[in-house]
Parts: sequence; C-alpha cells; structure tokens
Amino acid sequence: MPIHDQSYQHWQGDWTSHPYRWWVISRYGISLLAKKRGFLVFLFLALIPFLARCVILYGAVVMNRIAFITIDGPFFESFLSQQLFFTFILAIYAGAGAIANDLKANALQIYFSRAITRRDYLIGKLGVVVFFLSLTTLLPGLLLFLVAAIFHSDLEFLRQYSWVVLSILGYSLLIIAANALVILALSSMSRSSRFAGIFFAAVVFFSQILYGILSALLHTSAVAWISLTDDLRQIGDVLFRSPLTYQASPWASAAVLAILLAGSVWIIHARVKAVEVIK
Amino acid sequence: MSALVEGKTLSKWYGQVVALNNVTFTIGQGVVGLLGPNGAGKSTLMKLITGQLRPSQGEITVFGERIWNNFPLFHRMGFCPEQDSFYERMTGAEFLSALLHMHPFGDAEVAKRVDSALETVNLSSVRDKKIAAYSKGMRQRIKLAQAIAHDPDVMVLDEPLAGMDPVGRRDIIQLVRQWGKEGKCVVVSSHILHEVEAMTSTILLMHNGKVLAEGDVHQIRDLIDRHPHSIRIRCSRPRKLAEALVGFPDVESIHFDPEGDALTAESRKPDEFYGRLPELMLDNDIELEEITSPDDNLQAVFHYLVK
Amino acid sequence: MADSDGVAKGWRNLKTIANLTLDTLFWSKKTLFVGLLSLIVLALAGVGRAVLVLNLVPTALPASQVFGTLMSTAVMRFLVVFVTLFYGTALVSEEVEGKTLTYLFMRPIPKPTIMLGKYVALVWIGSIMVLPVVMASYLILYVGADMRPFFQDLNVLCRDIGIIFLALLAYGSFFSLLGAWLKHSILIGLAYAFGWEGIVAVLPGFTRKLTITHYLQSIFPHQDTLGALSMLVGDRTDPLESIVTLVLMIVLFVATASLIVREKEYVLEQ
Repeated sequence: MPIHDQSYQHWQGDWTSHPYRWWVISRYGISLLAKKRGFLVFLFLALIPFLARCVILYGAVVMNRIAFITIDGPFFESFLSQQLFFTFILAIYAGAGAIANDLKANALQIYFSRAITRRDYLIGKLGVVVFFLSLTTLLPGLLLFLVAAIFHSDLEFLRQYSWVVLSILGYSLLIIAANALVILALSSMSRSSRFAGIFFAAVVFFSQILYGILSALLHTSAVAWISLTDDLRQIGDVLFRSPLTYQASPWASAAVLAILLAGSVWIIHARVKAVEVIK
Repeated sequence: MSALVEGKTLSKWYGQVVALNNVTFTIGQGVVGLLGPNGAGKSTLMKLITGQLRPSQGEITVFGERIWNNFPLFHRMGFCPEQDSFYERMTGAEFLSALLHMHPFGDAEVAKRVDSALETVNLSSVRDKKIAAYSKGMRQRIKLAQAIAHDPDVMVLDEPLAGMDPVGRRDIIQLVRQWGKEGKCVVVSSHILHEVEAMTSTILLMHNGKVLAEGDVHQIRDLIDRHPHSIRIRCSRPRKLAEALVGFPDVESIHFDPEGDALTAESRKPDEFYGRLPELMLDNDIELEEITSPDDNLQAVFHYLVK
Repeated sequence: MADSDGVAKGWRNLKTIANLTLDTLFWSKKTLFVGLLSLIVLALAGVGRAVLVLNLVPTALPASQVFGTLMSTAVMRFLVVFVTLFYGTALVSEEVEGKTLTYLFMRPIPKPTIMLGKYVALVWIGSIMVLPVVMASYLILYVGADMRPFFQDLNVLCRDIGIIFLALLAYGSFFSLLGAWLKHSILIGLAYAFGWEGIVAVLPGFTRKLTITHYLQSIFPHQDTLGALSMLVGDRTDPLESIVTLVLMIVLFVATASLIVREKEYVLEQ
C-alpha cells in the first residue's frame, strides 16, 4: 500500500527461546569488563605462564634440551595450580561487584520486571566470571595439551596421556566453580563490592594461614583440608595421578569443597530476590 | 546589591567534556533560580560555588574570597546536594548533631540548633527514627535541615523539592521565600519551572554549559525581541476587535479560540498595543472580559532561549 | 591564647570526625565478619593449648613458641593486614561511594583534619579488633597451675602489643593513603599485602626494604617458623633503625594522604 500504517504494530518476527536469555546478561557483563584496559592488561599477564610453558615444551620435546622436565600429567597440573593466583585476582575483578553493584543500585527489581527468571539472572552473572576464569585455566590448559601433542612427532604421547584432557577439564572446572561461586555468594551478601573482594581474600589467605599454623602445632599436613587452595591442589593431585602433596584425605578435601560450593549456591539463592521485605 | 557569589570567566571540564564554558555571573542577596535542561551545567556550577570542585579556568569567589579549600567560609554556607545519601544508621537528630559539632558551637548550642532545624523542616516527630526508615520526603527534608541548621548566609539548594509531596513543596517554597526576604543568598535549582517562579523572579538560565540569561524573568522576556508577545483577550465581540487590530503594523498575527469568545494577538510592541486597546474597545463598543499574556512567564523564556 | 584555642578546636574537630567514622565503619554487620576472624585466631590459641595439655603430639611446641607463631603469622601477617586493609581503604572511598563526602567537605574543618580524624578512627578500630585477641591468646596459652611462665613472658607480651600497635599504625597509614588516592584500592592493597610483601620480603638485597613487613619482622622478637625463609636469605635491619623508618613511613603516608584529600576533586557519581 502507498501510505504505511505508522501506528503500533505487534512484533511479527521470531521470539527467541527462553533458555538463552541469561546470555544477554553475560554478554553485557563480558563486554563491560573487556573495555577496561587495566583488566585486559592483567588478563594478558595471566597468560604469560602459558606462553612460558609453550617455550618449555618446545625446548623439552622438539629441541630435547631440557632433560629434567617430563611432559606428563603433573606438568599440566602444575600449570593449572600456578594459575590459581591469577584466577583469584580475576574472580575479584570480575565477580566482586557482579551482584553487589546491582543490590546497591536497586537494580534487581528492574531485572526481574523483565522476562527473565532468577535463574537466568544468576546464570548470566556466573557466565561473566566463568568466561574470564576459563580464559586463564581451561582454555590455556587444553591449548597447552594440544601444543604438547603437536610437538610430539608420534601418537605415543596421545596414546599415553589422552586421559590428561579429562583431568584438565575436571581440574579447571573445579577451580572455576570454586572461585566463581564463592565470589558471587560474597557479592550477594553486601551492597559493597569492596566487602566481597576483601572477604574473598580472607577466605583464601586466612584458610592458608590457618592450615600453616595447625600443621605446625600438630606436626601433620593432614589438616590441609582447611585451606581452600590446598583442597584444590589435593583434588588436582588425584585427577592428574600425582603423588598427594599433603597427608590429608582427598575425600576430606572433596567434602570441604562440596560444602563450600553448596553453601555458596544456597547463599546466592537466599540473597537474590526481586523485592526485599523490610520489617 | 553587593555580590555574595561571583564567577568570572569560569570554565570546568572533565577530560574532553566541557561542563561549564566561560561563565560570568554575580549573585547577591535574595533567591536566585538556577534553571536549565539536564546537562546544562547547573550541578557543576553549584559544586563550584560550594567548593566541591576546582575551576579548570577562571575564578569563583564567595564573600569576596576564593572558595576552594577555604574551609572557614563553610561556616557561612549551606549546601543541600541532589544525591539521596546519608549515614543511614543514624537518626535524624544524630545526623544533624554530628554535622553541627563540626561547626564552632558548644554542645548546648548544637542541641538547640538541632531542635530548631528539625522544627523548621517538620521532622521533630521523627527525630529519633533512623534515616534508613525515613520516607523520600523526610529524607529530602533532613537533607535541607543539615544545610540550614548552622544558619548560613549563603544556601545552595540542588533540587530541594525532589520527591516531596505537594504540601511539603509548598512549605519549602515558603521557607525559601522567607530566607530570601531575610537577606540570605539562596541559589535554588529545579526542573519544575512554575515552582521556581513561585520562589523567585530572578533566574540564571543555563544551557550547554553557558549562561543564556540572568536577571528578572519579566525583563528577560521583554528583551527577547525576536519573539513577539502573545496577548489573549476575552471579550464580547472578538471578531470585531480583530478587524480593528489587524490594520496596525506591529500586530503580527491573530488567532481565535475554538470557543469563539477570545482571540490571541501577537505584537512586537506590547506597550503600544496595550496603549491603543482601551480606545479601540470604546470606539467599537466591545466589552472586555479578560486580558492575559500567556508567554510573560518562565516557561516561555525557557522555551525561547533554549529551543 | 589564640594558639591554644586553635589546638583545642583542632582536637575537637579530630575527635568529632573520628567518632563519626567509628560510628559508620565499626558499627556495621561487616565488623561481625572481622570479629569472626579474630575469634578463629583465639580458637587456634585454644587448639595450641589443647595440644599441650592433652599431649596430642609427642613433640608439642611450648606455649611461648605457639604464641610466637600465632603472633607472627595469624596476627601480624594476616589479622593486622586484613583489618587495616579493610577499614583503611574504606576511610575515604566508602564516603565517596556512599556520596556522603559532601557533608564532611561542607564543614568548616580543614580537609587534612578530616583525613587525620579518620586515621585516628582506623587505629582505634584496629586496636579494638586486634589487641584483645593478642592478650586473650596469651591468657589462653599461659594461664594454668604454674603461673611462672605467664609472668616470665609478660615482657614479650608487652613488646608484642607495642609492635603490633606499630604495625596497625604503619599498615593503616599505607592503606589509608591507597584508599584516598586510588579507585581500585582494595585490589592494589591485596596485591601489595599478599603479592609484593609475600614475594619481595624473602628476596635478598635492597628490595626487601621496600616493604613494611621487613621492618616489622626486624623488631619482632619471635622466631617465625613459617617465615624462616626470610631469615635464611638476608639480614634484619637494626631494630632502632626499623622503628625510626616505620615512624617516618607513618608520618609520610598520613601526610601524603592528607595532601591528596586536600587537593583531589572527588567526583561523586550521580
């Protein structure tokens, strides 16, 4: 028709399906952080150990110059354990304000007045932290294995160490889950991202110091399950078939991590609500 | 009138964004309405006047002295900021008391001033309630109370009526007018033009970081030559009156109201127009019922200068 | 007369700011979490005592060594750092984020006095959170049938309290400066406390002297079992020199923070 109808028209296109609405929140959070130069610089620094390991792989496998380095399970485990410091800082950077800033701005009501559920919101927020933590653990871990496989001229390496891929996956996901869920739980407990960041640091460092003191008092490393980072390392040792670093039972470490993760999920679930009733 | 607040070629920029651009003004005793659309630079100007920001260029003085880091002057100044932020754990009385103790008052004087300020803003009944539990209107009033409690000579009020109910607005407007009459210098910013008009006829109109107009709103209107004045006349025979008016060169246009009982004429020379009107009415046997000027107000001035 | 009036007024302003800061920072739910950490330190003292009394291990550390380990690790390397980092970085940044800084800056008080008053509140809070833990740990470990070690080591307790107080002043001044100056003061504070100090303090050479912990460790009387590495790689600085350096650091950091607060424009986001 020559004259088009300018009045309100209902959407005639496709409706996107509900399972992907969380991606809008994740995508926005990722793009916000990706614009920060300081954050990108730190992300680059976090990848330097990966580059260093690639050089070591080249030297050890291709050039055969580094005889004392064995490219086996523990090699990849030690890389991921080394990345724990970077994941700690990244988790604070990406996760401390994830929910806290929304609580401060009273934005939860705005979120939940849209066609998203609480689950979409939480998965969206988690997605931001998981994305960046994956960039420093899972992705470089798998790439490192790929580089090792490429540098080995035969398939023997793959035949012998194909299980390492699953170990890298498992250990990385555990590191990511532990950091992401705990920081989000702390973020949901306050309107201050400062509070979340510093108490996350307290959980990580104080538990390490607690372990150190208790091991000195009791002359044993069986209490290593107290330390979050040492719990991750114990599980890492099991996954990569390395000798256990501590005398603590891996089951104790697994139980502590499971309680921590479950507790974090429960806190997030309890704290994130559209409306708060003030009595 | 001596200038209490003076800005000379004042500019303020944040990186590439110029918030204030070469602004010169003087403000004396009485109430001045600071007007302008969002982003005009009103809040920046208020922060410069209250020493929260330092000018990038130019000078800002209060009581003849530079205000930046000049802390003794703050005893004679009060600022009601726009943001809704408080020490939420405190009660209204504790909040005022804590801030008043930072002035050179003894404990007894502080207590007296707390009572007086709370009484002025009508919060005496909730003095011992935590600010976190205050309604929006109460929060606005306690903010105003902290600005006036030490009886300053210069008050800068950034959107003081925001979030207040009509009764509260009326009370604050009356207070502001009262302070102006007492000889205090009150700078008030607001988006609601008729409320600023109710408080003062002296305005400082800003847009895009510049001062567009300064002074009495009626005088400003008179000076806006390029816009003819509108005069609405309700009478017994509007068409007969139109026939009489249309021959005069200063009359630019005539519109009739849909009801047919009034006309609106636009004239570039309102004084001449008003002068000839009585004779025209008598000569044509027309009964005058009402005469008004719809654009001799702030809305029109704002519209003409900003748009 | 005018000078004494000015001093009295200055002191009054300082006290007012300190009280306000104490009220807003200390009396909050976050302090409960900090208190919980302090209680865990006490629990460690209880574990140490239990190990001794119940002979849980064949070669248990004596009370003095347990106390020393607790003081040098849990208190000095964690609790003091954590408390001063948490409250120190919040002194100015919490006012900026909460947009309440305007109320303080619109008072007839010099901005450096505001900063100083807040610092005083920080030291006050730190002392409340940390020093009772030190004394209570001592009591838990030493009180018993034989009170001789309790009285014999009292001088160690007094010296520890003095050094820990100095640590509160030093770290408090540094983190206050970070909070007044930088936007991401928490991250930088964490990187300094648990990154820089953790690594550099054990390196040989001059770089160790660029940390607060080096000077504190130099005057700390305890043989730190966990910090033995730092002893292996380098000398301690002379105790008197360490104290003087720490005092100078405190004065420099507080003065710099005051100067920054005076000259910086804090733009409160609308």
